[in-house]
Order: sequence, then C-alpha cells, then structure tokens
Amino acid sequence: MKHKMKTRSIIVRCGSGQLLPFAIVFGLAVVLFGTISPGGGFQGGVIVASSALLLTLGYGYRTAHDAMHPHFLHSGEAFGAIVYVALALIGLLCGANFCRNIFWDNGAPGELISAGTITFMSWTVGFKVLTGVAFLLLLLLGLMAPDGDGEEDDET
Amino acid sequence: MMFERLIPHCPVLAVMTLFLGAFLTAIFGRSKAARRILLMLASLLSSFFMALLVKPVFFDGQIISYWMGNWAPRAGYAIGIGFEVDGLSLFFALLVSLTVLLSNLYSLRYIERDDCGDYYCTLALMLGGSVLSLVQTGDIFTMFVMIEIMTFACVALTAFRKRSEGALEAAFKYLIVGCIGSSLVLTGVILLYAQCHTLNMAQLSALLAGNLTPATVFAFALLLTGFGVKSYAVPFHFVAADAYMAAPSSVSMLFSGMVNKAGVYGVIRLCYIIMQSMRLPALQTLLVTLGTLSMFVGVTMALRQHDFKRLLAFHSISQIGYVLTALGLCTALGIAGGLYHAMNHTLFKGLLFLCAGAVWYAAGTTDLDRMGGLSKRMPQTCAIFLIAAFSISGLPPFNGFVSKWIIYQATFEKAAEGGGFGYIVVTVVALVTSVMTLASFIKVAQSVFFGQERPELAHVREVPLSMRIPMWILAVLCVVTGVAPGLVLTYVVAPATYAVTNVTGYINTMMGAGYAESVMTVPAQSIPVDASFAGYYSPVSWLILFAVLLLAFALVALLGKGSRGAVCQDDTGCDDKYAVFFGGERVTRSTVAGSDLFWGFRYNFRHYFRWMGNVHSGVVNDYAAWAVGAGAVIILYLYALL
Repeated sequence: MKHKMKTRSIIVRCGSGQLLPFAIVFGLAVVLFGTISPGGGFQGGVIVASSALLLTLGYGYRTAHDAMHPHFLHSGEAFGAIVYVALALIGLLCGANFCRNIFWDNGAPGELISAGTITFMSWTVGFKVLTGVAFLLLLLLGLMAPDGDGEEDDET
Repeated sequence: MMFERLIPHCPVLAVMTLFLGAFLTAIFGRSKAARRILLMLASLLSSFFMALLVKPVFFDGQIISYWMGNWAPRAGYAIGIGFEVDGLSLFFALLVSLTVLLSNLYSLRYIERDDCGDYYCTLALMLGGSVLSLVQTGDIFTMFVMIEIMTFACVALTAFRKRSEGALEAAFKYLIVGCIGSSLVLTGVILLYAQCHTLNMAQLSALLAGNLTPATVFAFALLLTGFGVKSYAVPFHFVAADAYMAAPSSVSMLFSGMVNKAGVYGVIRLCYIIMQSMRLPALQTLLVTLGTLSMFVGVTMALRQHDFKRLLAFHSISQIGYVLTALGLCTALGIAGGLYHAMNHTLFKGLLFLCAGAVWYAAGTTDLDRMGGLSKRMPQTCAIFLIAAFSISGLPPFNGFVSKWIIYQATFEKAAEGGGFGYIVVTVVALVTSVMTLASFIKVAQSVFFGQERPELAHVREVPLSMRIPMWILAVLCVVTGVAPGLVLTYVVAPATYAVTNVTGYINTMMGAGYAESVMTVPAQSIPVDASFAGYYSPVSWLILFAVLLLAFALVALLGKGSRGAVCQDDTGCDDKYAVFFGGERVTRSTVAGSDLFWGFRYNFRHYFRWMGNVHSGVVNDYAAWAVGAGAVIILYLYALL
C-alpha cells in the first residue's frame, strides 16, 4: 500500500488533496441550499460523491475504500430513501396527499429553512445520492483496481 | 368506516410499501429472519392495499385519481404527477400483487441454498414496486422511470445465480435489449412532451385524439416498439428465453407473470387510450400480425427445447401472442378475451415456473433428458403440474379453455364482419398453436413426471410446504377461473374491458369534468359491444370451427405428401431410436424418450426448425439488430399507413 502511494505523482496527489475539501464543502452547500438556489439535492450529492474519485486518484483505491466504508454507504443510501418516504408520508398523516409539502409557510423566503418539508426532502435526496453514487464509484473503481489493491469480497 | 378515507391513498401506499420493504431489507437484510419477515410483511401489506381497491373500482365503477402533493391541474394543464387507477390499471395491478406475494412466499425456501439472499429480497421488492407503479401511474414519464427500474432489477435478478451456466450472459443480453426498449420509450416520451407540453396521459389523450401529426406518429411508433420489447412479442423475444431460463424460478414467475404484462399494459394504454387509434385497420393488422407470429414462433420453438424452463419461456412468448392478437382485434369480445387470457397466463405460467422450480429444488436439474418418473416421488407437484399443463393447453374445465375460446370467437367475429381472409388464418394458427402447446406439455409430462424412473433421482423428495402453498393457491385459481367464467367475466374482466373503452371517463376523472369535451377535436369513439358471438356454445360457431379444422388438416396433410415414404433416406437427424416411428427398426429394443415423442413432426418440419434455430443464434448483436430492425419497420409501417 505504501509502495503504491509513493509511485503516484506528487502533483496528482497534491491536486486531489487541494480539491477534496473544496468538493465536499461546495457539494454540501449545494445540497443544503438545494431548495432555494440553483443546483439541488441530486447535483450536490454527486459533487460530494466525486470525493471518492479524487481520493482514489490521489491515494489509491485501498485508501478510498477504507476511508469511505462501503457498507456504511450502502446502508446510508437505503436510510436516505427511507427518510424520504417517511417525509413524504407526513403529508398523508396531515390529511393531504402523499408528498404534500407541510409547514411551507415557515421562515422568510430565501432563508435556509423556509420551504417546509421540501427542504428536508431535498437534503435526504442529497444524502441518498452522495452515498449511492460514492458507493457505485467505489464498486466500479474496485473492479478496475490492480490486483491486491481491490477488495476481494466485493459487493457485486 | 376507516377504510373509506384510506382508499384514494391505496395505490401509492401499495407501491411505497414495496419500495420501503426493499430499502429496509437493504439495511437489515443480513439476518435471514429479518429479511424473510420484511419480505412477507411488505408483500402482504401491499396486496392488502390493492385488495381494498377492488370494491370501489371493480364493483362501483369508480376511477381513482390521486395527485402527488395535491398538485391538481390548473387552467387545464396537469403539471403534477398523478396516479390514476381505472379498471384496466387495477386488473393488472392485482395480477402484479398476486404474483409478487406468491413468488416471495415461494422464494423463502427456494433460494435458501444461494448466497446473497438479502440482495434477492431487495431486488424482488424493487421489481414488484416498479411494475405496480407502472400499471397505476397516470404520468407517462413516471412510466418510463418505472420501466427503467424494472429493467435493471430484472437484469440483476437474471444474474442472481451468477455461478450457474449462462446467467451472466443472459443478464448481459437482457441489459442490451432492455436498454434499447427503454431508450425507444424515452425518445417517444420526449417527442410527445415536445408536441403536447404535458406528460399526463389523460391530457395527452385529450390532445392527441384525431391529431396524428408526423411527429406524434413517430412518437407512437417508438413507444409501441418500446412496449413491444418489454412484452417480448416476436421480433423482440430472443432475450426472454435466455433470461427466463437463467433466472431462479420464482423470478421467472415474476418475469412472465408481470414484467411482460407490463409491456402488454403499455401497448393497451398507448393504443387504446393515449393515441385512440385502435380503430384504424392498419394498427389492428400490425398488432394481430405481431401476435400471430409470436404465437406460432413461440410454440414451434418450444417444441424443440430440451430444457424445462426454456420450453416454458417459449410458451410464455406464444401465450403473449394470444393476448396481443385478441387485443389487436379492437372488439369488445377481443379485448375481454385478451385480458382474460392475460390473467390466465399469469396464473398458469406462474404455476408452471413454480413447478419447474420445485423440480429443480428437488432433483437439481431442469434438463428434460435427464429426468423421469418423478410422479412417484413428487405426487403433489405432479398433480399441480398437470392442472397447469391442462390450463395452458386449453382443455375444457380449466381456465385456458375459456379465454382461448373467447379469442377464437373474437377472431371468427372479426372474420365474419368483413375482416377478410386473414382473420380466418389467424384463427387456424391460434388453434394449431393450442394443439402444439398440448403436444409439448405431453412431452414435458412424459419426460419429467412419467416415463422410466432414473436411479440417480431415487433420493428426490417432495418440496417443503411453504413452496407447495403458493403452487396450490395458483392451481385452485386456475380451476376457479375455469369453472366460473361467468363470475370472472362479470366482476373482473368486464370492468377492465369497460375501462379500455372509456376514454372520456379516463380523461375527465383526471383533468376535471368537461375537459375531454372541450379539448378533444373528435369525440372519443366507443367500441361497439356485440354479444352475438359471445357465449359458450353456439352450433354455428362449432360448424365453422369444424370446417376450419378440416381445412387446416387437409392443408397439413397435403404439405406432408411429398416427403411420405422418403423418411430417413439421408442420415441427417436419423437415429435408430427414431426408427419405431416408421416401422423400420433394426434394433430389437429401443426406448423412446419423452422429448422424442413428436419426432415425426419435427422431422417433417426440419427445414423450418433448422432455420428457426439459426435465427435464434444466441449472439446479442443479432438480437439487438432484430429489435432495432423491427422498430424501423414499425416506424415505416405506421408512416405509410396511418
């Protein structure tokens, strides 16, 4: 593993190190403000998930795999979906239809929490996408990883 | 009553229960007990929600519309996503619910020897949820999304036994051809959206009535091809055989019970309701031709198979041919017959796949040439298999007879009211197909359950109770729908048939009363209900049937005249074991295996079978070329004749 890290170009490693925090912070910002600004949960989630790619580029597949915990990502994706459905069901419990936006009139327009359940639904979409896409990326990169670097008991 | 307020929410709840079950098994599925409980709980709850809809939709004739997030249409434009459950949707949704429930119950024990059981549960529930949503949605883009989920769940489930031979290959073929189908549907949806600025099917239907511009005809052709790919009608059927064979039997049941029904549902929804163009003879000819080809090619390919499940797969294609033929007639009798047959196909083909799974579970193989005499070892499975085989072959007390009988009557009716000579040919093909179906199931019964017992199968035992329960339920349903056709027709098939013809009601329920009348340029044309040909026994029909059969028999006899007496002059395909068929045996003792029972037929049509075998090359490039080529032909055909 250490051998692998040494063979990687220092430029690529530094570049990915520099971009990694930016990708995560920017992606999370896009997710957070998804309901009230351009972007959205899905797009932000994909940006955050690109950190898996950056990690692999800079530090090798094994590092990315260990840092990201694919099992956690897999469960996280399902958890995001469950929370989304639960939020959608709130509308039903309040006597309206499935997916109905509740508390839509709280907060001033443009504030972070101002659009009712839509805000939280957008966040769960972001969470689901960032875990799901990161998991998929790790899976695909694991297939391409050289021998000894890949996960033996992969999730396919 | 508390259920009253629940009823509008039932469609979405039934779908979401299955999806929630899928997500929960993804988290907690590592424990065997947890995933079993989740699987059954989700399927049961979903079926319960669907069952609640039976009374309002089937008995009271309501159409349930439901807007996600209360986004009802404003100023005549439907922007929100809606569910709309009419009789047709509920008919297919009930089939889906039943299939999912029984398949999941069966799979509890059936897949216990495989690893990755948690993935199976997740994917099976995903597949069920997607098809259930597909048949209930009122939004054509949701339909596309659900087709995508369905396709990918199918691909993964096909490859579930990834170590068994051909599973990955079949999954890859399925992926390629399935994606061609989905892309065609997506392109069609895009074109419709560009033309009509809406994705709601009710609004599309109102805007497109009598409004076939070149762009919409193109979209129509693309969508028709896309749904055709999903229903595995003949030029698109190649992957079905591989996939049904490689997948576990409980999944094959899901495939033939609901995935290809989803394609059929798409065709009905598209042709009868969105485009409302089924009254055009060109379209009727197209669907009937596709259906008749599927019938004939499917059953003849089935006759030469040596694998239980591959044989069933080709019969599945053949039975879908019946459904498409009947629906293509555009008469009330035809629609009723087609829907009835679609239901029966779900019942008996699911049952047959479960039988194949039981045989695999007990004997470890589905190869017809390596089995025999299992009726002593597995008496219940054998009895169930015979019920299913009689049903699919159309023997009188069982359900296949009823629906096939209605289909024959419908094609007669079409021929009688000036449909031309072609519909007589269709009737003859339908009858011949039915006979060949019986023949190939005699072959299966002889190879698997009767015949000589094999010493290596002496250890075989009956399958566990939890696998027999779903089989018995389906068997009882096969008999019930066969002996009480009047009840089934009145309470189940008639509301669905009425929904197919009730375009105005479909539009107005979704878009608000009076919308259809104000927007549609031509009023919706109802399909005339003519009951003169319906009925169980009509002497004139019998007489015509007899004449037609005589004609068909004479034709076959004349065709075979040239080769009589010339059998086995060459060495091709001749073995001493076939010599008993023409009295020229040299060896004193030769046994005829079950799969050789119809050797004479196969020999006489050897050129056809060889050609068909070459067409089914197993190369995915060929299969993709067939799908794309057939799509091109359909596009040209619709442009030329609509």
